[in-house]
Amino acid sequence: MNTFFSDWYYLSIRNIKLIWRPIMALIPSLFMPIFFFAVNSLSLSAFAKVPGFPNVSYKDFIAPVAIFTAIFFSAGNAGIELVQDITGGYLKKLIIMPINKLAIVLAKLVEVAFQSIMQGLIMLVLLLLWGVHFHSGILGVFTIFGILVLFAMGWSCISMIIALRAQNARLVQSMFLLVFPLLSITTSAAPRALLPHTFAVATDYNPVTYIIEAIRALVLNGFGDPAITKGFIAAGTMFVVLVTLTVISFRKTLK
Amino acid sequence: MSKNIIEVKNLVKTYPPDVKAVQGVTFDVKEGEFFGFLGPNGAGKSTTMNMLVNLVKKTSGSVKIDGLEVDQNLDEVYKRVGFAMQEVGLDEVATAREMMQLHGRLYHLQPAEIDAQIKKLLKLVELEKVADKFTSTYSGGMRRRFDLALSLIHNPKILFLDEPTQGLDPHARQLIWGHIKNLNKQGMTIFLTTHFMDEAEQLCERIAIMDKGVIVTEGSPAELMKKHDAKNLEEVFLKTTGSNLANEEVNNNAADPYIRARQ
Repeated sequence: MNTFFSDWYYLSIRNIKLIWRPIMALIPSLFMPIFFFAVNSLSLSAFAKVPGFPNVSYKDFIAPVAIFTAIFFSAGNAGIELVQDITGGYLKKLIIMPINKLAIVLAKLVEVAFQSIMQGLIMLVLLLLWGVHFHSGILGVFTIFGILVLFAMGWSCISMIIALRAQNARLVQSMFLLVFPLLSITTSAAPRALLPHTFAVATDYNPVTYIIEAIRALVLNGFGDPAITKGFIAAGTMFVVLVTLTVISFRKTLK
Repeated sequence: MSKNIIEVKNLVKTYPPDVKAVQGVTFDVKEGEFFGFLGPNGAGKSTTMNMLVNLVKKTSGSVKIDGLEVDQNLDEVYKRVGFAMQEVGLDEVATAREMMQLHGRLYHLQPAEIDAQIKKLLKLVELEKVADKFTSTYSGGMRRRFDLALSLIHNPKILFLDEPTQGLDPHARQLIWGHIKNLNKQGMTIFLTTHFMDEAEQLCERIAIMDKGVIVTEGSPAELMKKHDAKNLEEVFLKTTGSNLANEEVNNNAADPYIRARQ
């Protein structure tokens, strides 16, 4: 245990260094959310005038989706990197070191958290420049990042579990396809009241809905909205369950 | 008389349903010895070597490294061994110095000790000039040499080398041989697997040849040549192992479960 924190720290630094080299590699995962935010906020702005739509601009309404999507797209990369470490032989090097092996997995989570914060910050700056107003202020921004980081770490665990079980980069990469249904079957584009009944019920079963709603509450309304707590519960539950499953998978891989 | 630093008794590895990759292998390696572990493809060499450091779980048998039962003292064993594997496995966008610093820290060395080791080892493998370049810019030979240096960062007592010169040109091979010989002269125990018989003949003091999961012969190169009435080690190898290609087992330890299932 006495070396656990130093092992965790140094492996985290290693992972963080690798994701920023080259820095240009971070752009593709930002391109999609920026593109969709720009296109949707311009082309669908009139949607905000539809009866039943909250009294906010469409741009402000979809801003949480842009921040969320930036993180959603990139968090799955942790699994691909893990496959590279396995197939390239680097994981073996780590396994035959006198380190706490749990630090290998937890260092991946630190990498994901760091990447999420950096990509989220870039999106935040772009949104502020675009004129989006964050009603909950700086404390709200910290809260948004808290929810996002929990979600990102949980989501990255799915890719890591696939990586540990399948050890196949193409299979891990195909997890990318899950982003679209998970993002679409939510209230990302329209409030729940304006959705067809069946679709609205389906969004209730999607944890991503609660996360988007929590961020939206912080952007549009400030603190006090129960959606914020629900978002934390959804992200926190995903985090606890998926991190536990990842650790179990990792221990199984070592056996 | 040197003590045994590696002691292997009745080591067995069976993959489901009933593939016997290693069938009761027993051998010892003395401290400071240069030991060669040879055999045709699929003979069970890499499986045996991986079991020695618990990278592959043994089915039965016993492995002791420096007097320590491996599966009960993993961290202590890992402090004593270095392993240069077939897969070089480097961080492509890290420099040699960064990787060595990281590994030194993960072996819990003091910063001054890490710096001294980096300087010494990069000089040993003649990579001082490219210490601050990304490893992705290295040639195949440079990558192998760097991997050798990396496996030595914690100054291990035993160095495992799994085909360290595979895919290298003769010049690069000679360089690696020189480095390994020097390490052995300094007292490091070397455990080498290779397919190059000239390599084994030149470097190893004692050799075990494995075939179909068992050790078929063991001794110094001179003893083996005499025993099997052969002109060189290659002839010994051919006489003791024959061709194994038709009966070669599939890789039941393949990383990808899909590939394993297809086999």
